[in-house]
Amino acid sequence: MSDLELSGIRKNFGDFVAMHKADLFFEAGKLTALLGPSGCGKTTLLRMIAGLEAPSEGQILLGGKDIASLSAEQRKFGMVFQSFALFPHLNVARNVSYSLRIAGVDALTRRARARELLELVQLADKGNNRIGELSGGQQQRVAIARALAQEPVIFLLDEPMSALDAQLRNDMQMELRLLQQRLGITTIVVTHDQREAMTIADKIVVMSQGRIEQVGTPQEIYHKPANGFVASFIGNANLLDGRATNSGVTLGDTHFAVAERGGFASGDRVTLFCRPEAVRLTEVAPSGNALKGMVTFVRDEGIAREIHLDTGAGHIIAEIPGSFNETIRIGDRLHAEFPVETLHLLPARPAAGAA
Amino acid sequence: MRATQPAIPFTVARLFQKFVVLVLAVVPFLLVFAISFGEKIEGAAWVWSFELSNYKRFFVGADYPNSVSFLYLKYLWYSIYYALIASILAVATAFPFVYLMTRLSRRVQTIWLVFFLCSLTFSEVFIVMGWDILMSNRSGLPMLFKESGLTDWLKQTGGLDIMRDWGLATPRNVRFKPSEFATILTMTYLVWPYAVILLYPPVSKINNEIIEAARTMGARPATVVRTVVLPMVRTPIVGTILLLFVFLLGAYVTVAVFAEPAKHTLSISVYEAVRGATLNAPFGSAQAVILLLTAAAILFFGRRFVSHPEGR
Repeated sequence: MSDLELSGIRKNFGDFVAMHKADLFFEAGKLTALLGPSGCGKTTLLRMIAGLEAPSEGQILLGGKDIASLSAEQRKFGMVFQSFALFPHLNVARNVSYSLRIAGVDALTRRARARELLELVQLADKGNNRIGELSGGQQQRVAIARALAQEPVIFLLDEPMSALDAQLRNDMQMELRLLQQRLGITTIVVTHDQREAMTIADKIVVMSQGRIEQVGTPQEIYHKPANGFVASFIGNANLLDGRATNSGVTLGDTHFAVAERGGFASGDRVTLFCRPEAVRLTEVAPSGNALKGMVTFVRDEGIAREIHLDTGAGHIIAEIPGSFNETIRIGDRLHAEFPVETLHLLPARPAAGAA
Repeated sequence: MRATQPAIPFTVARLFQKFVVLVLAVVPFLLVFAISFGEKIEGAAWVWSFELSNYKRFFVGADYPNSVSFLYLKYLWYSIYYALIASILAVATAFPFVYLMTRLSRRVQTIWLVFFLCSLTFSEVFIVMGWDILMSNRSGLPMLFKESGLTDWLKQTGGLDIMRDWGLATPRNVRFKPSEFATILTMTYLVWPYAVILLYPPVSKINNEIIEAARTMGARPATVVRTVVLPMVRTPIVGTILLLFVFLLGAYVTVAVFAEPAKHTLSISVYEAVRGATLNAPFGSAQAVILLLTAAAILFFGRRFVSHPEGR
């Protein structure tokens, strides 16, 4: 098993820079998610790895060997496409064994391997079905089985769940994760769904506008986002503009203490970050970091409630458990407490409208 | 909206449709069918009758049982032979072109399609005239062969003898007409734009991800075409061949200009019977009916290729 490494990779389409120069390392046997909004370059990156797109610059190293000049058919990285791209003229078993057929593997071996793979994706009884007879979830399993038939070194999936409905997507995420762990295959998944990335990935690469914003484990990305973009793209985030001080940060006329000041000097413009579920709401003013505000919106999601408040330092969201008995109504005046250990300072966001 | 409301216009539309089919297709066919049983009066016109002699003449000759002639069966054979080879050749050469065309940008594809649509305005007569000049012995390609020294080179290398065996040369120079080669070539040319226009929609509909998926599984471009693209468009390909075939069964000018008289087709024979020296409409009608039934039979059997269950 080999690691995959991208070194100084860059991609232009004419004047448009789809992917700024970047280095990435994909550890053998791990699942990495390329996460970002549409148009961020994640699919371009995946296609360059697959060999369907040639990088404008840079190396793609598989086990230390540069494979950038190899075509997709030479690399033979199994790939699952967004549309599944199953062959409508072949039945399920023949779709799965396609790569073996064109490689000249004999019919008996092909059939046995197709059966084995269809069992793996729990479609053992569908081998003779036509593609059109399968549901979306079943088609996806066929696409996965087909991509795995050639025993690829790298397994690539481009938005594999986007065609599935919500419930099925949850199930398939777990299944894909379990399958990947069982096979121990180096896997790269492109997704725009942060929940999906958190569910399945060992490592997440967050991308935006052709740039890599952060690489880390789901926990690191969630709790220690590198910047405001990552913080707000992964889940909800309270981001408040302020200036660093020797002991913390000032937000207008309020001063907050923080546990870690990071590399910021006193007086630097910074963004204060706190997850909504870390914010505590009280009626009496607490002793620690707190802002007073008025409730502007309440979103009851059953399991949790999202309370939106307007404070002197900006708009904030607090997420409280749904079992909370107290009723909170629009117009209520509350104190929002920010526990010191949940606060992080991030580089200042670009001014509004500059993005 | 209630379901009964559009019923009246719908019924009218249906009736109109039936009326059009009746007037434009059924009535003329029945007329031809009825005339085919008529009787030709020597030295005069023909009269309504119910004789099978026209059909007998078609299959075994007028003089049967004293003598047997398969002349008209031979004409039928040449009709099928030219049309089938030309339609297959047209599709076989148009397909790679269409496939490569669909790989180009949308804008370039549109320009090509407009170009082909324009070329459809050329009539058969116009196209045949062009090829006639191109292949004529005095001013066309044979002259070019001779002047450029290609003929001499062919003579020295023995190529001319091979071409003579194929009926494409005289002892002195190449000679392209009359020949089966010229007939089939011109027919192929005639329907080539149709082949492109008929194949374009299904080929352009193939999702690019399907082709890329095949590539990531190790399929080289030729393998992709053989194992994915061609099987996916098999139905339109067979359909296009059948359509062009039926269209070419009726080709007249091409055959009249390029085929040797002994290798003429039924459409020429029909025309000669109806409008030519003999003025034998009943016999012409009988041949037309047989040509139509042949086309119908071939379409029927061709459908079996198309309706073959897919994905099993």
